[in-house]
Amino acid sequence: MSDTSLTPRTGTIAPNPPRRALALHRELQSVWANDRGLWGQMTAVSHTTLGLRFMATAIIFFAIGGILSMLIRAQLASHQGAFLDTELYNQIFTMHGSIMMFLFAIPMLEGLAIWLLPKMLGTRDMAFPRLTALGYWCYLFGGLIMLTALLFGVAPRDGWFMYTPLSSAAYSPGINADVWLLGVTFVEISAIAAAVEITVTILRQRAPGMKLTQMPLFAWYMLGTSAMMLVGFPPLIAGSVLLEIERAFDWPFFDPARGGDPLLWQHLFWLFGHPEVYIIFLPAAGVMSMMIPVLCRTTILGYGAIVAAILGLVFLSFGLWVHHMFTVGIPHMALAFFSAASVLVAVPTAVQVFAWIGTMWKGSPQLHLPMYHILGFFLTFVMGGLTGVMLAIVPFNWQAHDTAFVTAHLHYVLIGGFVFPMMAAATYWMPLITGRRRVKGLGEAAFWVILIGFHGTFFIMHLTGLMGMPRRIDVYPDNPEWVWLNLTSSIFSFVLTIGFAMFVLDLILQATLGKRESRNPWRAPTFDWAMPIPSPNYNFASLPTARHLDRDADEVILPLARGEGILPGAPNGRRELLVTRVGDAQPDHVGVLPGNTALPLALSASIGVFVLLMLASLYALAGIALVPVAVLIWVWVRGMAPGDNLASVAVTPGLRLPVHHHARASLGQSGLVAFLVANGTLFASLLFGLAFVSVVTPGPEAPISTFTPRTTAIALGLVTLAVGLASACVAWSGRHGAAMLALLLNLGALVVLVWMAATQLDDPTRHARDALRAVMAGYVGLHLLVAAGMAAFALDQFRRGEITVDVTGAWPALRLWQRYTSVTTLVTIGVLTAQAVMS
Amino acid sequence: MRWLGLVLLGPALWAVVFSLVYGLHGTLCATASGPEDLGRAARLALVGAWLLGIAAFLPVFALIPERSGQAANLPRIGLWIGLVATLFTLFPVTVTTSC
Repeated sequence: MSDTSLTPRTGTIAPNPPRRALALHRELQSVWANDRGLWGQMTAVSHTTLGLRFMATAIIFFAIGGILSMLIRAQLASHQGAFLDTELYNQIFTMHGSIMMFLFAIPMLEGLAIWLLPKMLGTRDMAFPRLTALGYWCYLFGGLIMLTALLFGVAPRDGWFMYTPLSSAAYSPGINADVWLLGVTFVEISAIAAAVEITVTILRQRAPGMKLTQMPLFAWYMLGTSAMMLVGFPPLIAGSVLLEIERAFDWPFFDPARGGDPLLWQHLFWLFGHPEVYIIFLPAAGVMSMMIPVLCRTTILGYGAIVAAILGLVFLSFGLWVHHMFTVGIPHMALAFFSAASVLVAVPTAVQVFAWIGTMWKGSPQLHLPMYHILGFFLTFVMGGLTGVMLAIVPFNWQAHDTAFVTAHLHYVLIGGFVFPMMAAATYWMPLITGRRRVKGLGEAAFWVILIGFHGTFFIMHLTGLMGMPRRIDVYPDNPEWVWLNLTSSIFSFVLTIGFAMFVLDLILQATLGKRESRNPWRAPTFDWAMPIPSPNYNFASLPTARHLDRDADEVILPLARGEGILPGAPNGRRELLVTRVGDAQPDHVGVLPGNTALPLALSASIGVFVLLMLASLYALAGIALVPVAVLIWVWVRGMAPGDNLASVAVTPGLRLPVHHHARASLGQSGLVAFLVANGTLFASLLFGLAFVSVVTPGPEAPISTFTPRTTAIALGLVTLAVGLASACVAWSGRHGAAMLALLLNLGALVVLVWMAATQLDDPTRHARDALRAVMAGYVGLHLLVAAGMAAFALDQFRRGEITVDVTGAWPALRLWQRYTSVTTLVTIGVLTAQAVMS
Repeated sequence: MRWLGLVLLGPALWAVVFSLVYGLHGTLCATASGPEDLGRAARLALVGAWLLGIAAFLPVFALIPERSGQAANLPRIGLWIGLVATLFTLFPVTVTTSC
């Protein structure tokens, strides 16, 4: 247990005595460095390595997506282009959008956060390094599956938002749509993993004394982003799972002939899709908020206003999704709700833009290369924002919907609001990545070529759209008046591509030929510059404390390198970092992180096998492929066992802190809470689907249910009783017997549920209502199975003596999961009963 | 943690009221006989839900400590964001065609 006597206020923390910096560096390198060679790259779990690898991979996917866009523009350069046939054109524009969204933008922001956050917050790594690595491998394998499909001519072809019924089995036979559904869901594992650890890292690993209101703004932006990812991605995952089940097993969630509704897909997709725009924009805005004050030699104007604006954006962005569906025939009042929310969201966005302009006004802007891209952002993003307000107005939206005007708008928002800030960030943080100075001249030229190429391509596309050209057409033989506009866009798109190539070349030249850069070249005040360049895996030889806040990075580099901060070196030969409390960031305990391991690679590969078997329609084998996944997860969790070394750690003279095995609120516990938020949103998405099909969908009435009310009521009563008792067992007792009882009760409930599904549930292929009931039962069953597995794991820990009076082991996680399972089971039973009674 | 909860309270209340009124609207439209308007009772139900949502903000303002400074201001600003968003985004229940 955490001994509060060991955790005084940070103001009283005495500094460690200075040591030789080189000796500390060697000590830390021996613990935190990656293993050597290719194997070392495969087993690396360091946030520095993986963050950079995420970003490098994302840039490669960006290049591939860019090449696809050149093919699109070559096709559209003339009105009867014969460069691509329609089938290939459809695959290429679908892959262009999917790659840019799922394989470039999201992984890029994840990589940036993974690389930068620990440095900025004053810690040594992300909360869950193996999860970082798992996320990377899932991203890579998922992306490779999608790219391989393109090479074999079976890539998705239904647009990046995969509307049903076009993407349903009847209209999209073959595996093209499955590649998207399974590949994107595979990639989204990395998004959820990143969201969980970003949230936990920001809330629990800030330097001691760094209150939430003292965090660098980038951390606020990333906290908002990760919260949005936890809530925004599950509807997409839910929709993708439902559509894949429909395609694979003919359960008609989206089939109007059998009570389904294609609009349900649109709702689930845009519940993700619109917040996604802000998920992409917020990290970019975060880096802007960090760079602008430094490049203007001043402090940010309106810190509190910007935090409030982030808060507003995070919530309001979830009230806009229907503005992508203004033309589908929804009620007028609903149109007005979402139109109002779409207009309102411009306010917090404008607050940020004015805060940045105000910061520039009060400071002394210096026209370094990052500032070029920042100015490019202002010009481009503001124009994209204004066309966004135009599209939020329903009558205009009805005119411009699905035209090239929308294509232009989204590129102004995404390239203006994400790519320009990322280019600014790349040029700003490259010295910390490479330790080298850039080669002057090429970067500025690249900027101008990109700016001219971008506006030449997309400004004109507004006009093309207003003249009526729809999106996603490959030829327009009856509209020769669009030719000059399209030809101009195509020419400038090639200019744009040349600009991006010049930008990448500039980065390569800096990394390879640049002269050695001095520390903190921008004279920034944040912790990310208070370390050697290029940054080592461990970031800080000793961790910064409250007395290092609000001081220039230059002033704290040497004291931290000499070990005068907290927790210097790695005297125990383990990867240790400090875990602090959420609100006041007081020291709580020492977290011990896992070292290099190939487990994430093996686990993601085994998930990949499952995905490939699903793609091959080998469903029975796919089910069997989940066995190694489960085994590897067990091995993974076994890796967190305490071992022998449970002694408290001296972090400064006179202050010892317990290790996380003794902590009541460990990082793992916080991570599980974050994961359950995402899981709860997935559950809510399924409930939304059930309510939508039950209330709004105009399709044929559901056939009369054939279950026996008395038998079903008894079975549901048994399940309720079992989960309730299991929850009570783990809540009231932490003993071996309670774990055994929880195991038996969860297994018993699962058996009853399976029996009921087999004998009482109606055939899920006959109506969407029945299909959704079966999915809800499956959701509950999966959670009971996991709860039983966790109880079995706790039993094993009791047997090994890893759960004692002082060491909590897996027990808190079991208690939390069991509680969640009980609540979702009861809600499911209540909702399904109410639906049955009302119908 | 309590402070973070207070900061999130205002926008979270908006999210709840928005979802409830939107859900109520969908349910009323689904059960309506005509395609255009719902009638007086349904309109009153929607406006009533909106007004109740606005009223829910008032006692919450009392939860915010009467201090000044950034830490106290952010929860207050959060509440104002939620209240203004509730007023603005759900105002259409009073003026637009229902279904």
